[in-house]
Amino acid sequence: MNELGRILIVEDDPKDVELTLTALEEYNLANEVVVTRDGAEALDYLYCRGNFTTRTNDNPAVLLLDLKLPKIDGLEVLQQIKSDEKLRMIPVVVLTSSREEKDMVASYKLGVNAYVVKPVDFHEFVNAIKELGVFWAVINEPPPGSVKKHH
Amino acid sequence: MNLNQTYRFWRSGGQCLIGGIAVALVTFVCFRLNVSITTAALLYLIVVALVSLGGSFLSSAVVSMIAVGCLAYYFLPPVFSFRVSDPFDVVAIITFLTTSGVITHSVTRARKSAEVLREQARLLNLTHDTIFVRDMNDVITYWNRGAEEFYGWTAEEVVSKVTTHQRLQTVFPAPLEDINEKLLRAGRWEGELRHTKRDGMQFVVASRWALQRDESGNPIAVLETNNDITERKRAEEEIRKLNDELEQRVIERTTELEAINKELQAFTYSVSHDLRAPLRHMAGYAELLQKSAASILDEKGRRYMMMILESAKRMGDLIDDLLAFSRIGRAETQKTMVSLEQLVKEALNEVRQETDGRNIGWRIGALPDLYGDRSMLRLALVNLISNAIKFTRTRPQAEIEIGCADGKEDEIVVFIRDNGVGFDMKYVNKLFGVFQRLHRAEEFEGTGIGLATVQRIIHRHGGRVWAEGLVDRGATFYFSVPKS
Repeated sequence: MNELGRILIVEDDPKDVELTLTALEEYNLANEVVVTRDGAEALDYLYCRGNFTTRTNDNPAVLLLDLKLPKIDGLEVLQQIKSDEKLRMIPVVVLTSSREEKDMVASYKLGVNAYVVKPVDFHEFVNAIKELGVFWAVINEPPPGSVKKHH
Repeated sequence: MNLNQTYRFWRSGGQCLIGGIAVALVTFVCFRLNVSITTAALLYLIVVALVSLGGSFLSSAVVSMIAVGCLAYYFLPPVFSFRVSDPFDVVAIITFLTTSGVITHSVTRARKSAEVLREQARLLNLTHDTIFVRDMNDVITYWNRGAEEFYGWTAEEVVSKVTTHQRLQTVFPAPLEDINEKLLRAGRWEGELRHTKRDGMQFVVASRWALQRDESGNPIAVLETNNDITERKRAEEEIRKLNDELEQRVIERTTELEAINKELQAFTYSVSHDLRAPLRHMAGYAELLQKSAASILDEKGRRYMMMILESAKRMGDLIDDLLAFSRIGRAETQKTMVSLEQLVKEALNEVRQETDGRNIGWRIGALPDLYGDRSMLRLALVNLISNAIKFTRTRPQAEIEIGCADGKEDEIVVFIRDNGVGFDMKYVNKLFGVFQRLHRAEEFEGTGIGLATVQRIIHRHGGRVWAEGLVDRGATFYFSVPKS
């Protein structure tokens, strides 16, 4: 348990980004976190284009994906990832405010690996983020092609 | 003898009398003028024919006998005697009798069949239907009073004078050749025709044609019966138009409703997504502030912070409950037979946490199977049971009973009874409203959506919900579900 996978967060709300990072920091999981602020930027990151042409050519261990995003929304990003031979193995966790069944069904149909509703209560929120981070970035063995760093 | 027989007896008698007088007259004239016996016999035969034309077979026979008597007495030698000695005279008398018999028979028969025809025509005139007969060249040969009244032409104006289809400007539903072919093959035809009356008005008639054949099977005439169905057709057309309009209106309304529903869905979606985020942020930052500023906050400050967090949590619960409530209104019900016993077990399992440290006596009666949406019914039971647990909290020994009550024949009634704080029946109408609460928040927590959810679920099943209660004496909640 001393290797840490990279977490890619796709979240447009700066407050949510801050709270998520705070929660991850609390458990020393924030070292390898990349934040993208909309669907288009997330796809740029994954395809190493735009601002990310120079990044190392490896995939994140997990992608924490919000659904309501500017430009390209979360479901579109999910669909793009799961239909691309090179990206489809990246675990994707939908992390959203929505408890709407249609979002849940659509996400699972597209092959999402987990669906987590952000709890309103901060303790629960921190717990959820911690457990997500620990599971996906530490416990879970990511698919080949993603990098783990010593923790 | 009845009246009819009496009448016939006297009529025959009268005819015999008139016939007798006629024979006497002929005899007197012939005898005086000294005409030949053959002429006299011919004159007698004419009298017999006339009698049989107006009277019965019997009176003709009587008149024939009188005539034979006169022939024998006045004209056959020896004159003034009924004695007939010459065998030729016997033959002559037999010939006379035979001839008069034949004349009587044929005249009577002809008269009878004419009478039958007249009777039939009279009967056909009684009906309001238009009936007419046309020969195979389409020339009208009979035209009843119904036809006269309906079309406006009298029988005299049309019979033997015009062809039907020309006079009535018939519009056929199919080529006339096809119709005639069908008529000849089946002997009848039915269909709707358009006819024009004398006053130029067009009418739709339901027409029935029947083919008449002679003894050797050759078609000789067509009997056509027509019924005016213009009014019916108009009514049908009206109904069709109304139906179309109604359908159009339903489509419009449905579109409107769909638009409203879509808006509503967008609204709840937005509530689900956007309303919770700021709430989460408030709670999150307040929590962070509480942590980082713990040392500089006094007792009061810490309490304020706690109030902020509590309120954020409460609003989160409200939003969640409200969304769940609106989801029940929108979700499709998936109905199957479900075991109420099983559902109650599951519901009890779900609320077990709430019974920790409590002393509750459960009484669960025999529970039948229900036809309904499994997850919705379970949610209703969870809400009702959870309420019972909550409102018996002040009792050292709580009693909660779940069972089946008597209801109407076609429904199943389920009740949940508790010995909790109860309620004033004055407010019973408010119990099932959204956000309606009968207790202060510090007494019993809750969002006021639970019973509204129960009501919505039961209504979606076509059932009813109601409650009985007394302040401090417990409450009973009932719901009914149709048996099928």
